Amino acid sequence: MSDMIDVRFSPSTTQDAGSFRLIELPSELCQLIESTTNAPCHAKPSLCIKGNIAEDAVLCTTDKTYTLRSVVLSNTLLVTTPSRTDPGGTVNVRDRLHEVLELVPSVPKLHKLPVLLKGAQYDEGDEDQRAAFVKYCYNQASSEIQASEAEFQQGLKEKRILVLDGYLRPIVPAHLSTILELILSYTVTLSLSCQAAEVEELVSTLADEHEVPREVSAQIISWFGTVKEGLWEIDIRAVVAEIGLEILRHHKHEPIVESDFLSKWKNKIGDTFEAFVALELLTGNYLRSDDTSGGATLTYFPASGLPTDPAARFTELFLTKQRWKSNDIEPFLLDIAINSKERDKLLLKYARAITAPESTWYTSRVGYNN
Amino acid sequence: MIIPITISRPGQFSAKLPPPLVTLGHDELFLIELQGTLDVEGTEVADKDGQLIGTLNTTDMNKPTLTIGYHLLEGKVVNLTKPLGVLHKQVCTPVEGVSTSSGGQEAVGTGTKWDVIAVVKKKLVFSKRPMPVATNSANKAPSSRRA
Repeated sequence: MSDMIDVRFSPSTTQDAGSFRLIELPSELCQLIESTTNAPCHAKPSLCIKGNIAEDAVLCTTDKTYTLRSVVLSNTLLVTTPSRTDPGGTVNVRDRLHEVLELVPSVPKLHKLPVLLKGAQYDEGDEDQRAAFVKYCYNQASSEIQASEAEFQQGLKEKRILVLDGYLRPIVPAHLSTILELILSYTVTLSLSCQAAEVEELVSTLADEHEVPREVSAQIISWFGTVKEGLWEIDIRAVVAEIGLEILRHHKHEPIVESDFLSKWKNKIGDTFEAFVALELLTGNYLRSDDTSGGATLTYFPASGLPTDPAARFTELFLTKQRWKSNDIEPFLLDIAINSKERDKLLLKYARAITAPESTWYTSRVGYNN
Repeated sequence: MIIPITISRPGQFSAKLPPPLVTLGHDELFLIELQGTLDVEGTEVADKDGQLIGTLNTTDMNKPTLTIGYHLLEGKVVNLTKPLGVLHKQVCTPVEGVSTSSGGQEAVGTGTKWDVIAVVKKKLVFSKRPMPVATNSANKAPSSRRA
């Protein structure tokens, strides 16, 4: 009766118990694992679990981050393998499990970066000083931040963090804006094409005329467009936006009249690229109010300055403005919701929707001002 | 803190499951799902090692049965809604150089690693009420109780 198989406890129950876990695999992970299993020996594994004791664990591939969640089962799952001594007739139960781990795609948790790097900012003239503040090197930061490698590198670009000598140095925004203004004006004076500007020319000019170190300008150039074979396809909108953002930063507490802001901005940009100036470039960074007699005013209000925890973020949003139009509130949820479906879920959970003929208004679910 | 996850490649010489169980998708590992828990007598920690739980009848994989003590459980093969990765914990000891694990990974320093040893897409579920059966081995095997 070779089809009757003995099911036994493992020969080493203490060692085996608790040493197995089951993880539900989304299709892309399943494919990744299966292709690695079939690949030649030297294929490097690219999965890891990251997190401090106090944080919720995440699983990272080379370019995606997933939150790990435990799902408790009412049934028992027995992890069973063939016996080494009698593979055809006996199987061993190695572990008895009551939970399965679920993987939920999540946004990379990059919010810790600015906090970690607070003392390490890079400013004009820094290369002359070797200040003795705490510096974070690339690998150190990468291991502390709950994000995949690709998302981490993208985060460094978006948060304007330079990598100098292996250390992470966020650039002081005012200095960045100055360099960008210089870049725009040199693009014109050196007659460089915006689709294929010679990086070397720009970097050398900035180094010779303004003492901007070559690594600094080269990295800044890579943040605003794509560089291929030494030629830079400039993302003019992003450059113009960054310069506008710097002007806006001074108006966190004192609003600026919209028309004044736009003309200041156009002045900094210059004639050639003036047409790119548009308030939409700064969505998610300002609040606009038209209830003053002088015209609409703008205040600096960056999404990046809001709490990352959804409940706290909505609290802050509703403390700032009692009710929001859906178009106005959505840009302030982009960095905590992985897609529009998730964003709608958050709105459903933390806000109350009021449908009016012109648009939907969102207010808080809990009254704060009463 | 980073916990690396390695993906091990199937070893050529490790034990393989008997053919009827290989149809579940993996030749070295499968999952049995029971409603409730296994109730085990015996207080010594290593009492259970190698002890018989029950007997699996795989003559007809459309109607596999599992006999535990006095109970006969009828089951079936079920496809999982999402494939499950099975991870096995490895606690590394500080060894320099290349270890002989099937993946050929270097073991550097102490720490826990998890190894993906299998991806399973099916399981054997025993969810019907057990039928009482008189067997001679009833005294020795532990009993299974429905939750």
